[in-house]
Amino acid sequence: MSLNLVKALKLHNEKIWDIDCYKGLLATASTDRRIKIVNIGDIGDGLVSDDGRLLDELDDSSHKKTVRSVAWRPHSTILAAGSFDSTVSIWAKDENDGDADGDGGVDDPSSFSMELLAVIEGHENEVKSVAWSKDGYFLATCSRDKSVWIWESDEMGEEYECISVLQEHSQDVKHVVWHPFKDILASSSYDDTIRIWKEYDDDWEAAAVLKGHEGTVWGSDFEKNVNTDIVRLCSGSDDTTVKIWRCVSNESIEEDWICEATLPNVHGKPVYSVSWSEDGLIASAGSDGMLVIYKENKDNVWEVVAKHEHSHSIYEINVVKWIKLNNGKSYLATAGDDGYVNIWAYN
Amino acid sequence: MSEYINENPEVLDDTQLPTRKDEDNELLFNTTGSNSYLDRKKMLLRMDNSSQSQVLQNIDLLDKLFALHHHDTPDLTEDDESIESFDDEDFDQIDAQEIYDLIAHISDPEHPLTLGQLAIVNIDDIEVIDNGNRDEISEVIVRITPTITHCSLATLIGLGIRVRLERALPPRFRINIILKKGTHQSENQVNKQLNDKERVAAACENDQLLGVVSTMLGTCK
Repeated sequence: MSLNLVKALKLHNEKIWDIDCYKGLLATASTDRRIKIVNIGDIGDGLVSDDGRLLDELDDSSHKKTVRSVAWRPHSTILAAGSFDSTVSIWAKDENDGDADGDGGVDDPSSFSMELLAVIEGHENEVKSVAWSKDGYFLATCSRDKSVWIWESDEMGEEYECISVLQEHSQDVKHVVWHPFKDILASSSYDDTIRIWKEYDDDWEAAAVLKGHEGTVWGSDFEKNVNTDIVRLCSGSDDTTVKIWRCVSNESIEEDWICEATLPNVHGKPVYSVSWSEDGLIASAGSDGMLVIYKENKDNVWEVVAKHEHSHSIYEINVVKWIKLNNGKSYLATAGDDGYVNIWAYN
Repeated sequence: MSEYINENPEVLDDTQLPTRKDEDNELLFNTTGSNSYLDRKKMLLRMDNSSQSQVLQNIDLLDKLFALHHHDTPDLTEDDESIESFDDEDFDQIDAQEIYDLIAHISDPEHPLTLGQLAIVNIDDIEVIDNGNRDEISEVIVRITPTITHCSLATLIGLGIRVRLERALPPRFRINIILKKGTHQSENQVNKQLNDKERVAAACENDQLLGVVSTMLGTCK
């Protein structure tokens, strides 16, 4: 099994904190307050030109501080971005531009542009993460103010109504992520826990607290197995470990979760990001610059199947995500303090 | 209540702080002079044959002079090398003294003295793991000793040290700032905050905080 660098794209002169990719459109979040939209859909197709790759650079006057997080709304070209300036901006592709056949792809890169649709205010201080629910109906945001907010949005993505403020974390909430098929939300925190939230009686309720990490939990990701009802989550922490959690009972609003496994500890430093692929592979990355892939064998034991040192030379990696390119295959995308986005193939 | 480790620090004069020059020739010649300067000074001493000469009556000093004469003189120009030149070299190992020199002259936020003078930073509490290879990840651990156990400024001092090192050190360094064990009531909380990259990044975008840190760093050499 090999893990190979397919493409390295230098996109920012400062840290890239987060990326999101949907239908070949890559969005970046950086300390330089800019968001870049880059067409990477053809990168898996061998030798392709980098001309016209950068589609748009969103107005850098929109956020007054670091852009920390970006997320594409499913089935659309609407982008949410959370910033240290405490606001969330919503952007949409100008429908008259670039996409002649209206399929969401890019037909004419030169006329692609995105416009500011809305600015959402409410958090007291730094917004650390933004995430859309499976159908794009809900937007979750979280902040150093210890809260998670759930917003309901209209189809156009112009109106946002806060329907719940979840305040049970005792410290900064670092990351939020939705289940791929269910309306379940997981939030990771500086208080060393992960909390699971569910909709109940038109409100959102705490379903479980996952305790076990011995440091800030930087992020988590749900399993994406369509063939099972079992809900599992992987998490990466400042304690340098990656853990797997499983819901063992969800008949009532209160769920029982167990820590099912701690993955082989290869990272010597904090793990900042984890991602669970549709094929069941987990990838993790963080401060030590190592990119690691784990696989569950037939005895349900997790093994390291690939690792790559210095994946962003000597810089820290802030985010790793499994992405799909135009050829239908899965790749890994990473971004780091060096301002690069790297695309990796795992064969 | 545990004993305050650094409650009433003996304030050191700036010249008493450890420097690399101390280790080398400064004991003999209170100067940062070059090799040629040293040679010239030796010549002058040899020319002075008067028995009244203080130099000749000082056996210790003479011994040192002889020793110096028979051994290679350490190359003092090394010290002049600037941090900015790291990019031009494949190997440039960084040691505790260099880290100390970078942070000892940071001003204390509430005293008109530096962290070195107040012994908040001490050379023995600096650990460096670095082989000088700029393609490898290196690490520096600075253990700080706040002046009082409940000092709310400990976080600010730590932030000042971190900002100074992040700006001055090559990017291969991972920087750990921790309070020396037993020196602060909320050690773990302060340590967690000082080493959370996201919180530090956000703090550096807070104009008020950055203003205070800039003032602290204003006395760095």
